[in-house]
Amino acid sequence: MIKSFERYARIVWTPFFLSILLVITWVVVELNGDIFYQNEAEKLFLRLMIVIGLQIFSGNSGVLSFGQVAFMAVGAYMSALLTIPLEIKKFTFLSMPEVMKSWVFPAHLNEWNGTTGTLAGAGFAILFAAVFGIPIVRLIGVAAGIGTIAILVAMNVFIQQTSSITRGTSTQIGVPQTTTLGSTVIWLVIAIVIAYAFRQSRLGLRLRASRENERAAKSVGVNIAKERYLAFVLSGFICGLGGALYAHYFISFSYLDFYFDLTFITIAMLVVGGMGSVSGGVIGAYFLTFIYVAFQRLEVNGLFDGKAPSGTADLVLALALLLTLIYRPKGITGGKEIPFPTDWSFRWVGRLLRGEIRPKAHSLSEGLKVLGLDRLSSKDKGQR
Amino acid sequence: MIVGSASVVIQYILDSIANGSLYALMALSLSLLFGVMGLMNFAYGELIMSGAFTMYYTHSWGPVGMIAMTVIVVVVMSLLMELLAFRPLRKAGPSTLLITSFALSIALQKLAYMTTNPGIPKTVRPYPWLTQQFEVSGVLMSRLEVIIWVMTIVLLVGMTLLLKRTALGIQLRASTEDFRMSQLVGVKANRVISSAFAITGLLASVVTVLFMLGHGDVRPNVGQGPVLVAFVGGVIGGLGSLPGAALGGFVLGLVLNILQATLPRSLQGHTTMFAFLGVIAILVLQPGGMIVSIRKLRRKRDQAAALSEGAPS
Repeated sequence: MIKSFERYARIVWTPFFLSILLVITWVVVELNGDIFYQNEAEKLFLRLMIVIGLQIFSGNSGVLSFGQVAFMAVGAYMSALLTIPLEIKKFTFLSMPEVMKSWVFPAHLNEWNGTTGTLAGAGFAILFAAVFGIPIVRLIGVAAGIGTIAILVAMNVFIQQTSSITRGTSTQIGVPQTTTLGSTVIWLVIAIVIAYAFRQSRLGLRLRASRENERAAKSVGVNIAKERYLAFVLSGFICGLGGALYAHYFISFSYLDFYFDLTFITIAMLVVGGMGSVSGGVIGAYFLTFIYVAFQRLEVNGLFDGKAPSGTADLVLALALLLTLIYRPKGITGGKEIPFPTDWSFRWVGRLLRGEIRPKAHSLSEGLKVLGLDRLSSKDKGQR
Repeated sequence: MIVGSASVVIQYILDSIANGSLYALMALSLSLLFGVMGLMNFAYGELIMSGAFTMYYTHSWGPVGMIAMTVIVVVVMSLLMELLAFRPLRKAGPSTLLITSFALSIALQKLAYMTTNPGIPKTVRPYPWLTQQFEVSGVLMSRLEVIIWVMTIVLLVGMTLLLKRTALGIQLRASTEDFRMSQLVGVKANRVISSAFAITGLLASVVTVLFMLGHGDVRPNVGQGPVLVAFVGGVIGGLGSLPGAALGGFVLGLVLNILQATLPRSLQGHTTMFAFLGVIAILVLQPGGMIVSIRKLRRKRDQAAALSEGAPS
């Protein structure tokens, strides 16, 4: 009885733990009531959505994607188009092509607090991901990175230049504000469950096998292109969802919101937390948000006498990513999920107390060696 | 009338050659690093940015001092980049290097935002004798354009000589072909990579000076746009081959400039989008780039010819 209970508890443990973390954050921020922290929390949640989308594809397949924010943009723009009231649309989208006018203008998907509009936006993101996924899953290594960057830039140029559909460089007007912190948390929990279920499923396992060793995976019958394609489309859906929620929370948005800055911060979150696991994405997002907000406060309020110059927060973020890449390339979690409580090991505490774990370095030069910094000054050893 | 339109066409072509030349130099340096250590260096744009700011702050020193300082700063920046960010990661895979260069690019941009007060718009004042246009048989030219052509040719010839005639060049080319093999026969990794970064920095500083004298506006993200185009050109030509990348950058710069001038206004903005969609197509269909695939075809034909010659005997 207890055995079987533990079996089921183990299955739901990680998504359960992460969801609890999200709900606690939401409750704390909601009770606090400060609009600044509410906006930061919403930003955290929406970025986390993209991080989870990214984890589904990049984390499981090992192919890095810089393009997921493009699908977020699709979700945001399409769900905005389908929910803006007709009276406003008539003026803001005067020159929209007739082909689109016929179905965009009558649409007013505001049922169930905007859920239909959000899902419609995510649906269009799926379409785009399905089209762009075809070439991307055939690329490997750095070519895939380049290809996804190309998607991001192409999408950005398209939004910027096609003002008849996207209002170009102007911000949107009249998007109904239907997203709340609470609804974002609900969607996020769904996304986490999807991502975790995908990772643990047969599909996810095959994809992870192909990440570890492509040839070995092929030899046991893994169709890598197919698995990657499914992950890419699923990831497009989650990102589109994030975009649609973004559109209906920060109601005035423009093409600048979905470009390199957001791409960078979401990739940083995933890499710092650990690409291999959903927990990694969540922990990375929380960790970097914490650092970011702390330094932002320093910029605004200052500490002691001096204020940090504006931009410090972004710089610290980039440095955090660089340091993680150099010293802990698998991220904080090392690609593992949060362990089940009975597996938590505190043996290292005892070992530390008994003096079995010694500091690795006793002098500065040894310390540098532990950190790998000695390589900077050493002569040629012909090492790559 | 016919004479007039002919000179207009020549005008477009001459302008576009100058534009393409700059992209050729940029694509060449991107390709050098890509070949030697599998690094697609986004932070190249920030080399241009740091050069542009140096030009802005040292403008009062006169042209010689300004250019000398820019070259020094950009080369030092490039070497520092290698030492602090890429050397510790040399064993990592290309994707990690890509994220690293991305992070580095963002970090340097933010650093520029922090230190240079972007509220005040900054421009490198152009020298009138450089940018003033004069007419040569119906075609308008400026001294800057002529200098760009000459510098590009000089640098390309210089690079060719360096790569073909010097020990360093041979080591560099060997490393682009097969890094580990070249190490096994005694090529020193640190030296080759550092010099690749130094050459990159040198090319970047020249590009910066020529580019900024024509455009002028200095912003923290001034390098991002040009680098993206150069990188697309490099991919089209084949980042794995130095001449391929240079030619790819040149052709793309040329074509984009001609399209900008000739396409109707409503389509102009979309040219970049098609260029980037083209990149995805090329990556899938011809991952080695167009130039490399031509070379491969020729090699295949030669092999076939050799086989058919050998068969009768």
